[in-house]
Amino acid sequence: MDLLLSVYVLMWPALVLGVLVVIAGGFARDARRARDEGRPMI
Amino acid sequence: MGEPGSTFLSSTTVLVILAAFYGATLYMALKIRRKKENADAYMTAGNNVGFGIAAASMTSTWIWASSLYASATSGYTYGISGPIHYGLWGALMILFIYPFGRRIRSIAPNAHTLAEIMRARHGSSSQLLLASSNVIGSIISLTTNFVAGGAIISLFSPFTFAQGVLFVAGGVLIYTLWSGFRASSLTDFMQLVAMFALIGVIIPIIFFAADFPSSFQTGAENLSAEQSNFFSSEAFLSQGAPYIAAVLAYAIGNQTIAQRLFAVREDLIKRTFVTATIGYGAMVIGIGMLGVLALYLGLTPYEGDANNIVPQMAAEHLPTVALGLFLVVIVGALSSTADSDLSALSSIMMADIYGQNVARRGTVDPKRMLLVGRVTMVLATTAGVLIASFRLDILDMLVFVGALWGALVFPVISSFYWGRVTNRAFVTAVLAALAVFLPVRFEWLPVDGALGALLGVAVDVLGVLGIGVIIGLMAFGFFGLRVGCVAAVLAVVGASPWALGTLHDYTVLSGSLVAYSVSTLVCVLMSMRSGQEFDFSTIHARVGNFDSAETTDDAGRASGGPDAPVDSTDAARPDDAGSRPAETAPTGPKE
Repeated sequence: MDLLLSVYVLMWPALVLGVLVVIAGGFARDARRARDEGRPMI
Repeated sequence: MGEPGSTFLSSTTVLVILAAFYGATLYMALKIRRKKENADAYMTAGNNVGFGIAAASMTSTWIWASSLYASATSGYTYGISGPIHYGLWGALMILFIYPFGRRIRSIAPNAHTLAEIMRARHGSSSQLLLASSNVIGSIISLTTNFVAGGAIISLFSPFTFAQGVLFVAGGVLIYTLWSGFRASSLTDFMQLVAMFALIGVIIPIIFFAADFPSSFQTGAENLSAEQSNFFSSEAFLSQGAPYIAAVLAYAIGNQTIAQRLFAVREDLIKRTFVTATIGYGAMVIGIGMLGVLALYLGLTPYEGDANNIVPQMAAEHLPTVALGLFLVVIVGALSSTADSDLSALSSIMMADIYGQNVARRGTVDPKRMLLVGRVTMVLATTAGVLIASFRLDILDMLVFVGALWGALVFPVISSFYWGRVTNRAFVTAVLAALAVFLPVRFEWLPVDGALGALLGVAVDVLGVLGIGVIIGLMAFGFFGLRVGCVAAVLAVVGASPWALGTLHDYTVLSGSLVAYSVSTLVCVLMSMRSGQEFDFSTIHARVGNFDSAETTDDAGRASGGPDAPVDSTDAARPDDAGSRPAETAPTGPKE
């Protein structure tokens, strides 16, 4: 039970870090594309 | 480490943290500053924002300081399922709104506000009704974030609440003022990175510092049977259900969400919304887990205020350095939402008030429009600071407005799908719903005698219908009309046994539900009789860009990209959109 509760509590920060990686990757791709096309990112 | 109120961080430390945070944010905003800002870019960044910024902006805007505190409070109050009943439903609302978002973008790809489309669809009364509710909501949201900023700064440092409010308000205004939405969404990315990176680390640190998982054993006696139950009905009825009703309305009534919907590149809407759903849910539920841990530890909130649970957990289990980083998380959360509120307010005043109701046809001046946007930001910030100084119960006001927005949900959504909905049906439905909502919400109805019993039954019946409307709309967005209707009927049948006879006792929930049902009933009945068949393809031509000016960045390069502003001399100019559909649409209303 303790293991289940520990997973239940700690899965959320892990998920947060996962989403951060996805969004940061998307940001990096947007920045690279904007630079290649010679336009502002936003 | 002690308890809040004992100023864990020195004035200098807090000033350095705030200066570093807002300095970095301002630096990013200055990097994208243009000598000649474009009015449309100021509102929606040219409707061409990529996935990274859009997903970060949508996520961090939806996360605000109060949602972090409230999720922890929910965990502390309702136990292990509490954070789910706060964070999961809020997250799913981002997901549920996305199919409607795709529809809205398809019929008005260059819009700036929902109210602007309502004008093209119905007329100015519908537009102003929606715009005014957006303005009220955004000012309250802005104020709430200032209050949260003042509270956390005064809690952690020798600074007063008023000083904290001024720091946050000034910091947010200074980087948002020049480039509007562009600055807001770009800085959202930086704020999200700070929040997510820190929360990903802080929660495990607290978890192990507080001697978990052992404390699950030693603290189990601190939980009641309901708090230990993952499927707690009390948690669902008291926390989850009212939130489901309020948040769908929030997604429609809040211009910050609509603004991001119009800004993201159209083919990225689904990906953006799905990512934001997961990001929001993980972040808010994760913070909510601090409330659950506090419950196991038997923590007593400082001064009995549940809002102190998160700062207390941080203060007791984090080293001072991490406490400073925790302050960054909270300031990041409230700043990303506050700058979005400023951008939302400015776009409403620019597009809906100046662009379509003040300037005469054909005389919209993009420079003046930008000035309107910037003045709006300054005035809104001033108003937010003043209201914050009264220390009203802002969260209650926000819950009230969220419920109030329930009156708008069906009329707004149906206006994007059903050609028969008229301006009269829209306005009458909203006003009728408000007329019923207010006495139910504030318990003005008699409760004694036969009349009281009769009114109680009426509220229950309308409330059950409201449940059907909410479930039906959610299903309709993803699966279409037939599935939506079936889901609505099933929801009504399923809810009736427990809701009839008891629902009117929950005034917050029933007030919101009757707003949904009454607006739906009135809108449907009036629209069925209208005989109108609106041509949605005409909206595209009536809602467009205001500014034809090419913009340049600091290096003098032309910008614009594939979705550069169209020529303002185009016949589709929005300042010509004031005419009602009947006057211009080839297949407009036949009333």
